[in-house]
Amino acid sequence: MNTTPDPQRPADKGADGHADRFRELAALDPADPRRAALRGDLVADHMDLARNLARKFDRRGDQLEDLIQVATIGLIKAVDRFEADRGNFYAFAIPTIMGELRRHFRDTGWAVRVPRQLKELHVTVAAGRNELSQKLGRAPKPSELAEHLGLTKEQVYEALVASAAKQGTSLDARLAEPAGDRFGYEDDRLAEVDNRRALGPLLAELPEREQKIIVLRFFRGMSQADIARRVGVSQMQVSRLLAKTLERLRAALGEDTLAG
Amino acid sequence: MSELETSPVTRTHGVRDVEVRVWADAEQVPLLRSFAADIAMRMDFDLDSIEDLRMAVDEACSLLVRAAAPDSALLCWFEPEELGIRVRVRVDAEHGVAPSSDPMGWQILTALAATVTESVDAIDGGYRISVELLAVPGPAEVDPR
Repeated sequence: MNTTPDPQRPADKGADGHADRFRELAALDPADPRRAALRGDLVADHMDLARNLARKFDRRGDQLEDLIQVATIGLIKAVDRFEADRGNFYAFAIPTIMGELRRHFRDTGWAVRVPRQLKELHVTVAAGRNELSQKLGRAPKPSELAEHLGLTKEQVYEALVASAAKQGTSLDARLAEPAGDRFGYEDDRLAEVDNRRALGPLLAELPEREQKIIVLRFFRGMSQADIARRVGVSQMQVSRLLAKTLERLRAALGEDTLAG
Repeated sequence: MSELETSPVTRTHGVRDVEVRVWADAEQVPLLRSFAADIAMRMDFDLDSIEDLRMAVDEACSLLVRAAAPDSALLCWFEPEELGIRVRVRVDAEHGVAPSSDPMGWQILTALAATVTESVDAIDGGYRISVELLAVPGPAEVDPR
């Protein structure tokens, strides 16, 4: 199976470079095993796109991995439906993937049947969390939420636990992730094993604050504004520190594969 | 939904020590993660710190599960303290590989918890590997500027 795409090919050329392969895909018989292989390759080659779009929808409480899965389904649909003669694959794939993600948010109710009262409580607590976060400049404690909303602590606990059930996390989730490949999901640019290996020790050498910012940005997928709030510096500073740190890591890796 | 009064003497932050024993298997990790989050919630950690702890426990358990001997147990203790919550995780393994030898996993762990320590002890027929972390509520006091 030809699963090694040319790693040197710049991403923006990908769309045109793939056009021939899309034509080939369309020409192959559905029963032909080569079709399945090519389809898989095309999907794999565009996973960056799915991840990037998924990240845009990565709100608090939504598992990025889940969103990437939804985006990947959109990507597969895009690969299946794209007609190479109709132009740029990205122009077709991006709306398709976005549509899939939006539908996910519209259709996904609660994974677990939760009493309506509890759903309402969840909405109340989620709103209270936002209000208090702004007011306090940090995440609120359950006790603060209870007081703010005039609820008992136990009610807040119930709502918080219920929120966790809103999207079910399979007990198999970990099984689905091969042990050695656990970090690629969070940041596609760190996906290469060599870089990941080399990066660990480099990260360890960074000052504590820079380490924290890097982890929050790339492993938690937090926005710069959120990081600024967490770390207690301005967003400008976060931006500067990120740029500086990435510059440093990039230089140390001797590569040009990290981007802010 | 009953609200029973418990003698404050017997409880720190309203939570007692918790000990959990599961198969050292990746599918059990979410369970431990949820335990940690629930305890932190009841200790009135702020919501960000609860998430930090959830992720730290996930990382610590994942590191150990990978090291654990087949069909062995993962033991986890959650101990509320004055400052925060101490979590100890332990497995028995065939090889004495330190959890910190996974630089990325260890990096995440040390960034999320206030303190992290590991130990690898030779025992009969193998090694006993532990990770202990202390999580404290609120990033404010850790990071004054």
